[in-house]
This record gives sequence, structure tokens and C-alpha cells, in this order.
Amino acid sequence: MSLPRIDRSTKVILQGISGRAGRLHSRLMKEYGTNLVGGVSPAKDVREINGIPLFPDCAAAVKATGATVSVALVGAYDLLDAMREAVAAGVKMIVTPTEGMPVHDALKAKRLTQDAGVLWIGGSTPGMAVAETAKLGFLPDVSLKSGPLGLMSKSGTLSYESGFRLAQRGVGTSVWIGVGGDPVKGLRYSDLVPFYAQDAQTRALLIIGEIGGHDEEDFAEALKAQAFAKPVFALIAGKTAPEGVAMGHAGALTYGSHGGYAAKRAALEAAGVTVYDTLNAMVGGVAEKLL
Amino acid sequence: MYLLEHDAKQLLARHNIPAPQGCLLTQPTAVHALPAGPWVVKGQITAGGRGKAGLIKKADSSADVVARAADIIGKTAKGRTVNAVRVEQQVDGASEAYIAMMLDPAAAGVRIIMAAQGGMDIETLPREALKTASAAPDVAALTAAAEKLAAAFPGVAGKALAGAGRAMAAAFLAEEALLIEINPLFVNADGSWLAGDAKFVTDDSALSRQPQQHALLADVCAAYVETRLKDAHGCDYVVVDPEGEIALLTTGAGLSMMLIDEMRGAELKPYNFLDIRTGGLRGETKRLVNVLKWMREGRNVKVLLINIFAGITELGEFSRLLVSALKDVPEFKAPVVARLVGNGMETARGVLADAGITLHSDLDAALAEVRKHLGVKQ
Repeated sequence: MSLPRIDRSTKVILQGISGRAGRLHSRLMKEYGTNLVGGVSPAKDVREINGIPLFPDCAAAVKATGATVSVALVGAYDLLDAMREAVAAGVKMIVTPTEGMPVHDALKAKRLTQDAGVLWIGGSTPGMAVAETAKLGFLPDVSLKSGPLGLMSKSGTLSYESGFRLAQRGVGTSVWIGVGGDPVKGLRYSDLVPFYAQDAQTRALLIIGEIGGHDEEDFAEALKAQAFAKPVFALIAGKTAPEGVAMGHAGALTYGSHGGYAAKRAALEAAGVTVYDTLNAMVGGVAEKLL
Repeated sequence: MYLLEHDAKQLLARHNIPAPQGCLLTQPTAVHALPAGPWVVKGQITAGGRGKAGLIKKADSSADVVARAADIIGKTAKGRTVNAVRVEQQVDGASEAYIAMMLDPAAAGVRIIMAAQGGMDIETLPREALKTASAAPDVAALTAAAEKLAAAFPGVAGKALAGAGRAMAAAFLAEEALLIEINPLFVNADGSWLAGDAKFVTDDSALSRQPQQHALLADVCAAYVETRLKDAHGCDYVVVDPEGEIALLTTGAGLSMMLIDEMRGAELKPYNFLDIRTGGLRGETKRLVNVLKWMREGRNVKVLLINIFAGITELGEFSRLLVSALKDVPEFKAPVVARLVGNGMETARGVLADAGITLHSDLDAALAEVRKHLGVKQ
């Protein structure tokens, strides 16, 4: 297994499976083809949910199933502890869709996963998917069509709409990774450049960015350092957003010139990325290049 | 949340980061609480560039203070109205340095920046004037890194930066800050120091476990409207243009931001940003009713555009809630244009049609209907 590429043999556990989101999304992931082999829940009177066996903790779940990936759907203030548990149990990748993880917890979580050599996708990630194979998190099936386009996004909804319109135009995705909308995240766009460079299915890359932070600028630098040879496209949301207000995502906050749209666009264009002003223009441009 | 300078200084004072004596005025009359003059009168908004916007003025007499405050209170800059001024003692004879700590998302740490010159936009300083280091997010590591960095500055500046760095390291971690910047840091000849200005960005996600910050939501200046709404109602709502004509009922932060950008690019005037979080409605109309009531405050709002991409949410149920919420807020009279895509679209089409609302699946078609309601030529 070459993570973060997953397939139907990748064994996955879900932490927090007995919660409202856990019940819903364990069913949706399983129906999509994800090899969900176990759920972690403190519930004592339940043996399984959606046909998935339950375990009292990560260690027991990993020991019994050999899972290498965990999806954690627990409360924002419980997430750091859940990640500590998953790392200690020996998983190799953790996906955390929960919104609202405190940023200083994310700093600790990032150090924890880095030190242990564990890949972390999140926080506030819509999840990741290999289209028509398996998904981890919330990505809607209707937006997932298999194809040559690598996709990375901070936003959930904007990527769903993009993936949906692209699929309607006949453009599918290879590996779709929601890096998440938090200021401190596990895998950032720039970390994934080497992965997409070597991924054979990926012929081009779309990044859906937004204002706040320096992730897009760092991604542009990584493209140059990698001499990334595949076409790269971008959408950046928040061009006209007001300063000093977090626009829905904790990371989408600008102050002064920090995190502003103009610097991101300039950095991406300087690295050879085609930046589009509208969804329609992006879909048209990508389709023209790939079809 | 991006704190007002006054709130930032109050919070920093709890961590032994002193500022010149000052007080907050919400009216240009109440001047009995003034510290000794002369003063600086500083308009309080949650954005930088206040000097250039004419929101910072000097005053030599208390009559001057009242006149300056009257000038500044009520002004609008960067889309924000000034509801208060901080009146502060002027500091004379001090030199000015710079110190900041901010997140380092790449290194999972805290970045420290120091300079012996301050007072101006830090990006205008030559690179070599800035000294920077990254440290692990714990008090011992961050304090040691700040002291080491300060040691590179000779004389009183180094002494002041070390002292400020120690205090700031503790404050940054205890308050779970995203950014604390003191610019200028006033440095006296004896190495003592004061925060001349303070930019402080806190983490909304940590608000529930930071009672001092949470208390600011009840701030007299009403500066943190958006955070307060999110805290109380669980959705993100931002008035992006008080003069806007199109109210937006949307879900998803990225998609909502993009829609606003695209509409503005097409010379349409959206009134608000909204991430309603359809997944959080839980079968109740309460959140939709609240949002419709807030939108009534837009005096130029002529049409409501609903744009929902439902990956998981069931649109039939959403549409039933919406129609019911519209009935509950009869005073919201603007015509409704709906663009819904995803699960349960056909059920939703029927529910909306019964309420006289056309369901569009194409955003451009929806925008054409919006233009029709605005009386804009196609």
C-alpha cells in the first residue's frame, strides 16, 4: 500500500462510530466500498453498527483487524486524545473530519503524527477518496468519478461542486484529498506534491484554495522545487472577503496582507499554475486540457 | 477572532505585558476616566491600517480628546464602523522595536519575529533587519528561543525584547493565540518597555475553554458580531456589504465565498456570507428562521438566493424546512430564487413548486432569475 493512495484492501477503523455522524458515515463509506473492519466506541451494549464489529479502544481494534487507517469522528475537544490513541495503536494514517479542533491541539497533533511517521489528513477535512474504489470521510458519491485529475482542497463544499461539475463534463479524479480548512493541518498541499508527481493515474492536478495562511504560496514553492511536470490548475475562494473575519473556516482569516488573495494568485501563477476566476471557467479549462 | 486593540491590551496585561495607561470611550463625552495627558485617540476596529484611515489622532487637552473622539466614533473603515476609541497616554522619548509570535503551520510550532526598529509596517523593513526563529509550542522551548533571538540585539533593545519575549511566550500559549504582534514596542533608556500597539488574533475553536476571551463576546463595542453569532447559533454569518441587494442562503464556507466572488465579478451585490451547515439543522427550522430575520436588516436586500450543494443532506427535507421557515417569517418579503443540487432534488422540486419557488439546478439560470428580480438587463 502506498499511502495516501487507498484501495479496497486497505483496512480502516472508525473512532466514534456510535455517534450520529459515525453511524451515518460508516454506512456511506461501507456502501462505497471502503474496507471498514472495525469501529471504536465506549458503548457496552452494542456489538456492531452497520455490520461493523465494535471494539472498546484502538489498540484492540488494530490488534484484531490489522487496520492501518483510522477515521476519527469524535468531538473537537476529544480529537487530540483520539489521535494519541490511534498513533499508539500503530495506524499509519489518520483522517479527522471533525470541525473546530483547537489550533494549539492541532500543533500537538501534528508533532505527534510527524514523530511517529503517521500521515494525518485534517483537521476539518471533508475526507479523501480514490474515486470508484474507496473513501474516508464525507465526500459525496455523486462528485466522485474515476479519472486522471488529482484534487486537493481546503473546502468541502467547493470541492464537491467542482468534482460534480467536472464529472458531468466527463473529467474524473484520481486521488482526492481534502487537506482541510484549519490553519494548522496535517498534510498540506506542499507535502503532497511528490506524491502526485509519482502517482501514475494522475495526469494533472487541481488545487482548490482559499484565503488565509500560506499554504498556497508554499505549494507554489514545492511545485518549483519538484519541477512538477503535470499541468496544475487552481481556484482560490475569498478574493473579496473582508479582513479580520474568519470566513466559515478557522483558517480563512486575513489580517493586513497576511493570507490575502493577491499574494496567493501571484505565487501560483509564478509557478506556472493556471488560476481561474470562476467555477465554470475552471471546469472548461480543465476539461479542455484533459479530454 | 481578531481583537480590538483595547481588548488585546487588557488581555495582555493579565500576562504582564503592560501598555500605556488608557481607557475606552464609546461616547465622545465621558472623559472623567482619562489618565494624565497628552493623549492619543485611537479608533477601535478589528483591522489594521488605522493610521492611514485617519482613525489615530493626537490630543493635547481634554477638549481635544472629546473633539477627536467625536470625529472618529461613527467613521467607517475597511467595512467596519468605529464604535469606540481607546484614549491612551502619549509616550515620549522611547525608541521603538518590534516583536511578534505567530503560528508556524509548516513546522507545527511558533514563529518569533523581532526587530530593533518598529512603528511602521513590518513588511517595509529590509529583510536583514528582521530576526526570526521557530520553536516548539511549549513554554520552555518558546521562552528559550525568544531569549536567544533577543540576545542578537545589542543594548536596551535586546533587554526589552527578551523581557517582552518571555511574557509573550507565556501569553501566546496560555491564550492559545494564532498571532500576537506588538508594533511598536516602546523601549525606554533603562530597558523597560510598553506595548504601543497590539494585534492579537485568538482561536475561535478554543473559545469554549478560554473564559476571558469568551467574555469579550459581550463587548460594549459589538466588535465580534460574527463570532458571537457562531457561538450562539452554530452557523457562520457575515454581512459583507451593508448596502448589498442579494441575501444568500448558502452552505459550505468555500462554496459560499466563491459564490460571493463570482457574483461581485459579475457586478452583482451580495449582502452576506453564510455557511448555514445544513447537516446541523437536525430537522428544525430555528436556524433558518434566525437567518431570515437577520437578513431583514439589509435595507437594500431585494432578493434571496439559495445555493445548496447537498452531498449528504436530503434536499426534500431541507426544502420542507425552508418553506416552513419562510412562513414563520412573513415579514421577509423578498422573492426567493433557489438553486439546489444533490440528494432528493426531485422531491425538493415538488415541495418548492407548491410554495411558488422554481428549483434551478444550474447556477447561471438561477443568477438570471436573480437579475430579473433586480430589474437588471440580461
